Amino acid sequence: MLEPEGGLLRGTLDVLILKALSWGPRHGYAVAEWVRTATDDHLLVEEGPLYTALHRLERKGWLTSEWGYSENNRKARYYQLSRAGRQQLRTEMTSWQRYVDAVTRALSMPAPARG
Amino acid sequence: MRRAVGNLGERNIPRHVDEELAFHIEMRTQHLIARGMSPDAARAEALRQFGDLTAVRQACIANDEERVRATRRAGAMDELKQNLVYAARTLRRNAGFATGVVLTLAVGIGANVAIFTLVHAVLLRPLPVANPEALVAIGNPSWVNSVSHSTNVRTETFNWEHYKTLRERLPGFSGVLASGRADGIELRADASAAEPDRPRTRFVSGNYFQVLGVPAARGRAFTAGDDEGIGASPVAVISHALWQRRFNADPGVVGRDVVINSSRFTIVGVMPEQFRGEIVGQNTDLWLPLTMQPVIHPRRPWLTEREAYWLLLLGRRGPGVSFEQAKSQVETAVRQIVTDAWTEGSPPPPNEIDVLVSDGARGFSAVRGASGTALTTLLVGVGVLLLIICANVANLLLARAVARGREMSLRLAIGAGRGRLVRQLLSESMLLALAGAVIGLVLARWGSRLLLVLHADGARAVTLDTGLVLPVVGFTAGLAVLTVVTFGLIPAWRTSRVDLATALRAGARGTTGSGSAAAGVRNALGRSLIAAQVALSLVLLIGAALLVRSLQSVHNQDMGLDRDHLIIADVDATTRGYAGERLAVMMKELADRLHRIGGVTAVTYSENGIFSGTESATTFQVPGFIAKADEDTLAAYDRIGPGYVTAIGGRLLRGREITQDDLDRRVRVALVNQTMARFYFGDTDPIGRAIQLDDSVSVQIVGVIDDVKDHELKGEVGRRFYVPIVGNADNDPSALSFEVRTAGDPAPIVEKVRQTIIEFDAQLPIERVSTLSQLMRQSVREDRLLARLASGFGLLALLLAAIGLYGVMTYAVSRRTGEIGLRLALGAQRTSVIRMVLGDSLRIVLIGILIGVPLALGASRLLRNQLYGISATNPSAFAVALGVLVVSAIAAALVPAWRASRVEPLLALRQD
Repeated sequence: MLEPEGGLLRGTLDVLILKALSWGPRHGYAVAEWVRTATDDHLLVEEGPLYTALHRLERKGWLTSEWGYSENNRKARYYQLSRAGRQQLRTEMTSWQRYVDAVTRALSMPAPARG
Repeated sequence: MRRAVGNLGERNIPRHVDEELAFHIEMRTQHLIARGMSPDAARAEALRQFGDLTAVRQACIANDEERVRATRRAGAMDELKQNLVYAARTLRRNAGFATGVVLTLAVGIGANVAIFTLVHAVLLRPLPVANPEALVAIGNPSWVNSVSHSTNVRTETFNWEHYKTLRERLPGFSGVLASGRADGIELRADASAAEPDRPRTRFVSGNYFQVLGVPAARGRAFTAGDDEGIGASPVAVISHALWQRRFNADPGVVGRDVVINSSRFTIVGVMPEQFRGEIVGQNTDLWLPLTMQPVIHPRRPWLTEREAYWLLLLGRRGPGVSFEQAKSQVETAVRQIVTDAWTEGSPPPPNEIDVLVSDGARGFSAVRGASGTALTTLLVGVGVLLLIICANVANLLLARAVARGREMSLRLAIGAGRGRLVRQLLSESMLLALAGAVIGLVLARWGSRLLLVLHADGARAVTLDTGLVLPVVGFTAGLAVLTVVTFGLIPAWRTSRVDLATALRAGARGTTGSGSAAAGVRNALGRSLIAAQVALSLVLLIGAALLVRSLQSVHNQDMGLDRDHLIIADVDATTRGYAGERLAVMMKELADRLHRIGGVTAVTYSENGIFSGTESATTFQVPGFIAKADEDTLAAYDRIGPGYVTAIGGRLLRGREITQDDLDRRVRVALVNQTMARFYFGDTDPIGRAIQLDDSVSVQIVGVIDDVKDHELKGEVGRRFYVPIVGNADNDPSALSFEVRTAGDPAPIVEKVRQTIIEFDAQLPIERVSTLSQLMRQSVREDRLLARLASGFGLLALLLAAIGLYGVMTYAVSRRTGEIGLRLALGAQRTSVIRMVLGDSLRIVLIGILIGVPLALGASRLLRNQLYGISATNPSAFAVALGVLVVSAIAAALVPAWRASRVEPLLALRQD
């Protein structure tokens, strides 16, 4: 099993971050807030690992970053999806959906026929 | 508004991460304060919600650093690719120049790699067996083909009895093999074969292949069982090469019967292709069990003769046994053997028993000693040559640098850093060096093989593996890198150092104007490079001159016999079946027949010829002489026919010759040479004194002969005595040579000698018929080759330096055209112009000489061991080399000087 990261499986955090940035550049805090709201505060236990994930994704080339100024004029680091990142998001969403469907179907199976 | 980050320096990464994380904590804190928490509580809660700040910070920094590194790597790769592509394009545009440089580099690198291949094969390469570092050589590893007869225990080679004893008494070894000389082997694949094969053969113990760790490729190798009874294992193992050559790679060769020297043997195995025996420089094609030696050579059964010391031993250290432990075990065991062998009445054994125990990873080799030093000397010489070539190439690149000023300044102007330019230029040098190295590698394969052929000079070639091995390729790669650094760096640096404004303004003309500072520096650099080339060429020339002088002194020395009028004919009488009385009669008759050939003035015969093949030595006692060391009782000897001394043109100093009468009556007499006479008898007359040979036979000295150089041109003549070839021992001579003296040039008589022998007995195997001068030349063929190669290198180096000098002078003159024109216009003589240019060039040469002579004095010390009869500072050699250098320099500078004097003053003045 993949190592948990901040309470979530590692891969899950990655795809959430990619999704969070799919509407445009955000800084790390905004991504954290979005994950909270989107998962109804259910999943993200710690916020630190989010930053580890952001830097990791940038190293992999799925994100690029820039320094900018936030709404309240503080210096912040903004992330955005690269073209490869966008591609990765599509891929991850497809396989996630497949995974979820498969497990759901298995879990809702009736008792096997005897014989 | 967002600001681009730009180049993320590695030092900024931690700061950026801190800022980013601080922003988050701050935002979270503000958020919590807005919910009603106190600022302190909010901050604490924000930190709690964040998690392990330190760990996250570390992870983020690590990720960022890796990202930056990866980007940099990719950037460097891109730049390198760009550089190489651009370099290739530039070189293609100047294809002529590039080809010239690549070829010169190829020659230089190729020569180095060729010599290194040989150095590696002779000196460095371990045997192609399992774990060769565990092998230990016992005995003198260069005595591969020797047999000594002695009643004292000898330790350079061993007899069979002592080998078997040692094998039992060395527990630190997992196995000890024995290997001995096998000559005169004739192999007939089938009875009908017309011409027998004469493969290089070794007699080996049953555990030979097992100790070495080489399994047979086909069939089986020898086993301990093949060591059992004498003559009980008529089996043979052949090499891959022999299998291919003689048996046409017949897959059914295992089990085939062959005839070896009239005995039937069965081939039981074929060795893998890369195994050619344990002797470097002497590949073995056929292995026979030791126990078969008396069957092959019934007349000299060394195996069972107690006094025959002919085996070399190679042991494999057991696991956990160090070399030191193994060595002391061997020494103890040998000491025990010597003590056990001592019999009552003999002189007590010496306290120090010297047995040579050395590293056996590289096997035995007869050529390693002498050739080793010669090869390393050559390597140094050829290395110097490569340096000169690099200097030449550097000069060429510098010359082009001037023409590329515009290109460089353009690139600088649009923003390339100087470092980028240097890297670009180095890429060009790298491509040149790479191409040169690849071609050089190919040339080297031919070169090393050619060297071996030249070295053989008609005699049997030394067999070495000159294939492509990792060390050789590695050496080539290393050389390529070194050459790039040597010839590429300075021109690259120079070329990139361009004064923007001047370069662009000068336009297409380049910067040949005399006012250009860059050109001035270029000139100075060029001149220093030439001076360096001159210095190095001088080193090579002096080395060559010393070697040539040494060779001359070797040739011109007095050998103690008539070297220009002798023919030596070696025959194998024992194989043919001559023995005892029949042999005595045959020797006399054949000598008579040879004497009757037109042009022959004298004929004699002996066991060991002159400058051919065998030598004999023995220990003896001289009554009245106290030996201080074991060696003092040892001397070389020969068994000779009648009138030997006069026949070979030797000088009889005292007493009389050995006559036919002595032979007929089996008188026990002897001649001694001057060295021996002085050693044992000092100034007293040795005539009439007796020598006690070991088998209690006493011979009386009847004459003293002046020292003769009979086997080696270099080296001192040792003690030697001569006894009649007949009636002096129980066994027949193991070899036979005829010495034929001619009135005039012996060369045309050689064939007649051969014919006469064939007419006398067509079945008598003739090993060799040759003039003594030919044999002598062959004995120093290595020195001759070395001298020739050194001269070749020296002259090549001189040629390169001369070309360089010519180039630099031409350039210097072109820069001073205006000045020269002015001088001529003001009335200077044309000869003064010539003098000026010559003077200028001689200044460069002088600096080169001033550097070169001390260098040569130091380098010539390397040659000390190669030189004979002259010192490493022989003045005439230095003088000759200097003379050749100066003359060549003047010749090279003469053309530009003359052209300078032909300058038309008006044209020159207008041009500037």
